[in-house]
Amino acid sequence: MAEEAGFPTISMGNAADRMAHIKPPRALLVKFARGSMFGEPGNVKRQRSILMDALEALKTMTKPGTIQELPYQWKKPDPK
Amino acid sequence: MGIDLERFRIAYDKWVEESLQEYRAGNYKEIIKRYPLIVSDGVPWAPYRGRPSEQSFALVTSGGLYLKDSQQPFDTDSIHGDASFREIPKTVRREELGIAHAHYDHSLAEEDINTIFPIHRLNELENEGIVGRVANTHYSFSYVNDVATLVTKTVPKFLSRIKGEGVDVLILVPV
Repeated sequence: MAEEAGFPTISMGNAADRMAHIKPPRALLVKFARGSMFGEPGNVKRQRSILMDALEALKTMTKPGTIQELPYQWKKPDPK
Repeated sequence: MGIDLERFRIAYDKWVEESLQEYRAGNYKEIIKRYPLIVSDGVPWAPYRGRPSEQSFALVTSGGLYLKDSQQPFDTDSIHGDASFREIPKTVRREELGIAHAHYDHSLAEEDINTIFPIHRLNELENEGIVGRVANTHYSFSYVNDVATLVTKTVPKFLSRIKGEGVDVLILVPV
């Protein structure tokens, strides 16, 4: 409803099946459990990376319903 | 928009009636399978224009966050959930926040609130000029089944707040 009112959104998600129902306009899919969309507690660098991914997605996602999977793994270093 | 609220209300009232006993017994997994989930027939879309460094951002979480000293916790007992929202200032400190949401494990968020509400990271991006402005106010929702109230009462109020504050973009973080 925010989009209909003119506000672009970027959504986080961790369950492809739920997202298929909710149909977010732009979404980033992570492999993290419920209650921790931005990864491990205290992983400042990763939290920042995901926010940067979100800013990038706003610019690059031009088709409604685009979902991009992020490569981050719980407690593993970020891919280069 | 592609939501038939009248149809939802009828299905929802029936779901509440049929599920209340099991809800009270804590059988959430079973009753949620029967929940009359709304599947929108289209994807809403507001084109993104401009640059993050010139825009205002607000976070929206469904993590059940509230300010312990000044706000009521969300209702975590009702089968309807709680269709209201809480306004969280950008300057919030972890110790000021409570979590009222009975349907996810809070332990990671308790340890670091940025796992569901990355306000401190967003403030850092503002300080570095990567985002233009972090809104003074951010928003938390909680567990809610009563989508009719959410759509007819809560969302209009929420939209009027973000318009009033000149927010350009929303970052949505469900739990």
